[in-house]
Amino acid sequence: MRLRWVRGRDSIMTKAGEHAREWLGLDDAGNPIARVIHLDGPMETERGTFRAVALDRDAKLIRLLPLPPADGDWLAVIGGRVVGRAAAPLAAVRRAEAAL
Amino acid sequence: MAGNPLDLIRNIGITAHIDAGKTTTTERILHYTGVSHKIGEVHDGNTTTDYMDQERERGITITSAAVTCEWKDHRINIIDTPGHIDFNIEVNRSLRVLDGAIFIIEGVAGVQPQSETNWRLADRYNVPRIIFINKLDRTGADFYRAFATLKEKLDIIALPLQLPIGIEDSFIGVVDLVEMKAIIWEGGDLGAKFHDEPIPEAMMEQAKEHRQILLDTALSVDDAGMEEYFEKGDVSVETLKRAIKTGTITGAFRPVLCGTAFKNKGVQPLLDAVLDYLPSPVDVPGIKVAVEEGEEEGDHQRRIKADVNAPFSGLAFKIINDKYGTLTFVRVYSGTLKSGDSVMNTTKDHKERIGRMFQMHADKRAEIKEVHAGDIAAFVGLKDTSTGDTLASPEDPVVLERMAFPVPVIDISVEPKTKEAVEKMTLALQKLAGEDPSLRLKTDQETGQTILSGMGELHLEIIIDRLRREYGVDANIGAPQVAYRETISRAHTETYTHKKQSGGSGQYAEVKIVFEPLERNSGVLFENKVVGGAVPKEYIPAVEKGIKVQADTGVLAGFPTVDFKYTLVDGKYHDVDSSALAFEIAAKACFREGMKKASPIILEPIMDVEVTTPQDHVGDVVGDLNRRRGMIQNQESSGSTIIVRAQVPLKEMFGYISNLRSQTKGRASFTMQFHHYDPVPRNIADEIMAKSA
Repeated sequence: MRLRWVRGRDSIMTKAGEHAREWLGLDDAGNPIARVIHLDGPMETERGTFRAVALDRDAKLIRLLPLPPADGDWLAVIGGRVVGRAAAPLAAVRRAEAAL
Repeated sequence: MAGNPLDLIRNIGITAHIDAGKTTTTERILHYTGVSHKIGEVHDGNTTTDYMDQERERGITITSAAVTCEWKDHRINIIDTPGHIDFNIEVNRSLRVLDGAIFIIEGVAGVQPQSETNWRLADRYNVPRIIFINKLDRTGADFYRAFATLKEKLDIIALPLQLPIGIEDSFIGVVDLVEMKAIIWEGGDLGAKFHDEPIPEAMMEQAKEHRQILLDTALSVDDAGMEEYFEKGDVSVETLKRAIKTGTITGAFRPVLCGTAFKNKGVQPLLDAVLDYLPSPVDVPGIKVAVEEGEEEGDHQRRIKADVNAPFSGLAFKIINDKYGTLTFVRVYSGTLKSGDSVMNTTKDHKERIGRMFQMHADKRAEIKEVHAGDIAAFVGLKDTSTGDTLASPEDPVVLERMAFPVPVIDISVEPKTKEAVEKMTLALQKLAGEDPSLRLKTDQETGQTILSGMGELHLEIIIDRLRREYGVDANIGAPQVAYRETISRAHTETYTHKKQSGGSGQYAEVKIVFEPLERNSGVLFENKVVGGAVPKEYIPAVEKGIKVQADTGVLAGFPTVDFKYTLVDGKYHDVDSSALAFEIAAKACFREGMKKASPIILEPIMDVEVTTPQDHVGDVVGDLNRRRGMIQNQESSGSTIIVRAQVPLKEMFGYISNLRSQTKGRASFTMQFHHYDPVPRNIADEIMAKSA
């Protein structure tokens, strides 16, 4: 299913400058039904080093992943559920659309 | 030289492992850009950039050569660099002043040791780069295997912009993944004729797959490009090129092109890629200004941006002496300078007047009257400017970040055949050392012999040859010696009193110094912990000087002592008899006594050795490396050849090439580069000490 994708929440600083850390996939009615999100991190905690991602808009639900994520820093998320990972946002978009 | 807007200038280097095709590629570039009408060949000894006699005779590049050409209204200043590790200083100083680089990778062997070393150097200077997989016409060439070594050995995100059409004898052109077309060379006219055509049917699926990877990777650094893609399902060529350029400059990924320079295929698109993806002087963040003493390096450091209207600043990166005098190569970072102007050498804090200025074309020169930000030019008339010095306007006397030079690992003694030539030889060697910061010159205090220290046997062989040809000095050469180092393996505190008070004006100084070992490559550190004026402040520099001088002659075998810290913790002085000299003498003696009790050891250079040998000689090669105290690291098969990697003490590698040739009937080759210093085994340390006694 093809969605209309727009920039989501704030940006991340990458080697190539500041870029969107989230893209929202909108349905025909303009409602966000999928997201691709960049994993933040690495985060140092007492229990080790992790990458983290907020799985909901209020960042109440957080997923921690140990380093390094095997298949990329971008997560394809539908309704708080991770449906795929990719090294690039465009590839994550395809994973999200394929999962719908 | 005036008139080129900064965004139409590219300052680039071409670098690679030995024999990967740097000079051959440069020759084609010069031909296609109209600089030369005939293509020179390395094997014919008639290339433009290899202009030294030794380069033409040996078919290798020894010194980096600067050439300039025009391509599609842009000016490209190119520096062709040597591939042999012994001349790595040339790559080092070139990468330091360039805005971008083409890394040439051999299509058969993939990434080789010198490519790795140069890649790390380029990382150190944040040089944006594009990769050219060359020699795809050669038997055994495999674009995809060579491509895989980029990830394996350089750990980078390599991004193909082209795919080869055919391979070895049947290599005819490339698929351009940016514009989704095929480029086919027609043969004849030295590769000048080529045309576009549709991508061959058989490659279409593969091309589509790689273009998707290209879009995924490139657009991840360009949000506007992502939006264009979401809207249209694709992006314009312009958008894609913009994204590739952003990723190339920031190092997010490294674009990969391919071809065969020798068979004249793939060079014109490579030139287009230089314009499209490598930065102009205004696209880079600017050169960092050196930190003040005590300041931390980091992002806060001031940078000099390319701006012709700003005060002048430039970096002297190479010096050569020829029959016309001394030429100082300068990369101009900001401002404008006219011949006859004066500038400050801010590194040495003195004024320099610029005599004449030249744009260099290998060994030929064209006089110019002014230089601007972004230019590379050679100045004549500088009296006391060395490689790495900053030249700047007195209006803004900045000192640019300094260059780091490698440490020489081989020594040879050299003495002229006649007494009359002593002075001539000394002057000549001083000039050669002035040109080459990886060449050091010293006098053995005991024998009075002149000792030359360099990066390898070939490096020193070339220097001796230049001494004879260019300066007319015939010299006797000693056998190469390893440049050993000494250090300590445990801490020790020593107190020494220097006392001569037997009438008349006396000498008195006492120092108490803690000597501690440091990690390898830490150098020598000093700390002053004296309290209450036990050693008056004015004598502290004398203590430092004494240790520094004495550390050049270690206590075991007279080699320089490194990787230790000394802390002055206490001392005594006499109101009348103490002097700087007395404290210097006390420090020297304290070093000699203290070091002996701090478990001194001798260190030797350990080299990374890579031998490429036919399969049937692997056993001989490995056995021989083991006999040379080598530690085999790994073996890798590449077609019918095996690559054996080992770490071997340099001492055991002298004359290795002739041994390897006779063992393998000339079918094997090897490369070697310095890796680290390690303690020598006890029996060898005893030998070294006995020899020096």
